[in-house]
Amino acid sequence: MQDQILIEMNGVQKWYGGYQALRDIDLIVRKGEKIVLCGPSGSGKSTLIRCINRLEAIQQGSIVVNGHRLDDSIKAIDVVRQDVGMVFQSFNLFPHMTVLQNCMLAPIRARRIGKTEAEAIARKYLERVRIGDQAEKYPAQLSGGQQQRVAIARALCMQPKVMLFDEPTSALDPEMVKEVLDTMIGLANDGMTMICVTHEMGFARQVADRVIFMAEGQIIEEGAPDAFFRNPQQARTRQFLGEILAHH
Amino acid sequence: MTPHFGLPEFGFLLRGLQWTVLLTLVAFAGGCSVGLAVALLRTCGHKGVERITRIYIGIFQGTPLLLQLFVVYYGLALTGLKLDAFVAVAIGFTVNASAFLGEIWRGAIQAVPRGQTEAAMALGLHYSSRMRDIVLPQAIRISLPATIGYLVQLIKGTSLAAIVGFIELARAGQIVSNQTFQPLLVFGVVGAMYFILCWPLSWWGSRMETRLALANQR
Repeated sequence: MQDQILIEMNGVQKWYGGYQALRDIDLIVRKGEKIVLCGPSGSGKSTLIRCINRLEAIQQGSIVVNGHRLDDSIKAIDVVRQDVGMVFQSFNLFPHMTVLQNCMLAPIRARRIGKTEAEAIARKYLERVRIGDQAEKYPAQLSGGQQQRVAIARALCMQPKVMLFDEPTSALDPEMVKEVLDTMIGLANDGMTMICVTHEMGFARQVADRVIFMAEGQIIEEGAPDAFFRNPQQARTRQFLGEILAHH
Repeated sequence: MTPHFGLPEFGFLLRGLQWTVLLTLVAFAGGCSVGLAVALLRTCGHKGVERITRIYIGIFQGTPLLLQLFVVYYGLALTGLKLDAFVAVAIGFTVNASAFLGEIWRGAIQAVPRGQTEAAMALGLHYSSRMRDIVLPQAIRISLPATIGYLVQLIKGTSLAAIVGFIELARAGQIVSNQTFQPLLVFGVVGAMYFILCWPLSWWGSRMETRLALANQR
């Protein structure tokens, strides 16, 4: 079942008013694949992954997630969101709940499982992101890196089939980037299917099966990280890599 | 012979105070429930519904409360619906309060960062859970100072109920004053009673505001 297709995007077009954010996106993600999406700001990479769990609606084309076609029906959106976890740049933890409550809420409300079971799941994943001893604290009492790890655990508690990461380390102080990346690498090694929007090229080299470069709403180039970084085919890709790798 | 301001008169004022408090509580409870519905409809994302609630808010914020009380008390009586004065003013104040509280909470709901709703949606939470568990608890905290401020206005505003013959604190003061010819003393006592009700609330409200500002700094 290594070849099972989890996400299939076909001819996806998205506009914000008169501005076209995504142009003719075709993308297939198989089970267990790790994909890194990169590109300049405004290139549509965040928009692309936000379409996968329908935080953004598309105007043309189709998106199928784990066999469920995303349309306007609430039921389809529900099913897909339960299968797709998401981690945001700004963490978006619920500030009025403890870390543990943050992790227990969705399994109880959306999966309708019991409190005891939800707590067991929450504690398991909090351990896994090595933050189990902070379970009773509120998000504001944690560092940025810790908060982002809680956000990862919170998404994992829904036991998703795919994890989407939207620039998960961009809002972090430099010394906290590593702890979040290590958590993501651990997740990748456990076989999680992941799509990561990130500029962490070291991470891309280490875990990505494919790197996709986007510009102006289009997929310009994609390839295995080795080939992608060593021998990019498109001028636009070379320019971008030149700019972001210059300082590394 | 005119009576002096004594214990019986003071007792009469106290009964007026009771009605003021009762009317405030009923109007506030009613205004909160209807106002919550107004705020939710106002932010539901459906254009038509949002417009209708905006008109509702516009009408009740844009016309004098006095007029609204007249309409409920005399207007409804013309259609054959004769309401008790207390019921009539309770309805009038409820509707009026719902427009103001609805607008305060609409602002508070929209002040909760968009990322909170997005995170909740990404987790598969439905509208009811998103509102109940995520947005409203944060919105209520944000709106608390303004809500308390409105409650203080409401307490003092209930004196308008006198216009349809409802005897609350201000009207009771007027009656006693007319009987005793001691307006300064009587209205002094009435004013003190309002003050004792309102001042602690105002103090609590501004303390909330300071604490909220501190919490936001973190």
